[in-house]
Amino acid sequence: MTSNPSELLSRYFDDLLSEDEHHDLQVWLRSSTDHAWEFARFALLHDRLRGEQLAISLLQPTLADQPRALPVALGRPRRSMVISVGVVMALVAVLMVLLEIGKTPVAAATELKRLIAAQQTELDRTYRIAVEDVPAPQRKRQPVVDGNRPPKPTLDGAILHVRKGNQFVLIRPMAGGRQFVTGSNGRTSWAVRPDGPVRVSTDLTRFNRDLPGHEHEFPLIQIERGLAHLQDAYDIQLLPIENSDDTAAEVSTTRLLVAVKKPGHRGPQRVEITYAVRTGQIRQLRFIEMPYGPEHLTVRLTQEEERPLGPAFFDHQSHHGLDRVVEEE
Amino acid sequence: MDERTRQATRLWTLAQPVVSVFVVSAVRDFAARDDVLQETAIAVMESFDRYDPQRPFVAWAMGIAQNQVRLYLRRIQRDRLVFDDDVLLQLAVAFEETSPEQSQSLGFLRGCLDQLEGRARELCELRYGHDLKPAAIAESLRMTANTVAKALQRIRDQLRACIERKAAVEGGAP
Repeated sequence: MTSNPSELLSRYFDDLLSEDEHHDLQVWLRSSTDHAWEFARFALLHDRLRGEQLAISLLQPTLADQPRALPVALGRPRRSMVISVGVVMALVAVLMVLLEIGKTPVAAATELKRLIAAQQTELDRTYRIAVEDVPAPQRKRQPVVDGNRPPKPTLDGAILHVRKGNQFVLIRPMAGGRQFVTGSNGRTSWAVRPDGPVRVSTDLTRFNRDLPGHEHEFPLIQIERGLAHLQDAYDIQLLPIENSDDTAAEVSTTRLLVAVKKPGHRGPQRVEITYAVRTGQIRQLRFIEMPYGPEHLTVRLTQEEERPLGPAFFDHQSHHGLDRVVEEE
Repeated sequence: MDERTRQATRLWTLAQPVVSVFVVSAVRDFAARDDVLQETAIAVMESFDRYDPQRPFVAWAMGIAQNQVRLYLRRIQRDRLVFDDDVLLQLAVAFEETSPEQSQSLGFLRGCLDQLEGRARELCELRYGHDLKPAAIAESLRMTANTVAKALQRIRDQLRACIERKAAVEGGAP
């Protein structure tokens, strides 16, 4: 066991301490504020060495340029240059944040990848949809009058069930407690109106147009595809967690990731994702100014369940009586 | 840029070096330091409305940095060899109280680094220029990790002695 504080400090900053040595270091630090100051002085030198050495590496040929057999990590060309650029970029990113210009910090991008990975599940997901407000259409357009077509049911209060393979069931509430159900089992798409024939089509996109997002790279029935789109087309920012000290609450601790659309890309202006810190499971998605026909909606999807819904749930037969007429289109 | 953002920028620019050192001393990894520092900067800007100007800004920013460090350590699930909260707090206070002279005297470091030669210079570049730990350095130089660790300790001791000597001779800062 090392007892020399200077050696302990040196080994600590080189990440070499054993558990016993780490314990010794903590005891030594606790024993006097002078020791904490000594630690701080060592840390200042350690940090400054990094800065100076990076500056030197930028101005002089690096070891990586020489024909030495270096570890794999060094084998990449001019690694120190990459690191230096990374540090400069970090500082620029901080400055950009200060200037309120969107940039995606490394941590936010990493976190987004974690969320995408967490979406890879065999379980079915159920979301409740809320439409928060419906601003006036940006483009004036006369509503299409079709005597045979009933008014479009609202998305507000709708339930969306989603399964891998573009399978979905969207249940929209209508007046009188009736429902308008559309969906797809990945082989056919279908619509079950409260009355009239059940319509079935082999065109899988035939009945998914009532869900916003499908034409703007953010299909609500493929959340992971939308998340992947965020990586390129949006500036992403992670908001801090401030209530994570309570271990009991940690399981339910959530964090907010905010994505703001870059100029020249399509889709909602802003996407807010509330997710469980521990698992990366998405609790809520909020789309601000999401294009929906001539309108721009603010739509909120709150995940209600994640469980298997059964083999036939995404077939139209599961959503209407046997006596209904089925028309194939 | 509005006045609030300007003020926050000014304060953060002054606090950032010491917060950076605190963060790297807790996470022990320069790449992780950069990530945690970014998160801290964002949190500082977003919470700036809650900052009480009667309090020292460095202490306030250090509190936010402590939270970000804890979150980072939890996220990477590094539960071994992590300082207890009370030690982390003690260190944060020590960093806050670090004298400006201490930081200024580090201005002599460049001159001291220039005096390093041969293997010492090479070790320093690998450790700090390439952010390699002793085991990786040992692999590339065909040495043992322990020898590298001891050599690095000697180099840092030499550099500290050099800085103190120059500070004593030439004054507190270059």
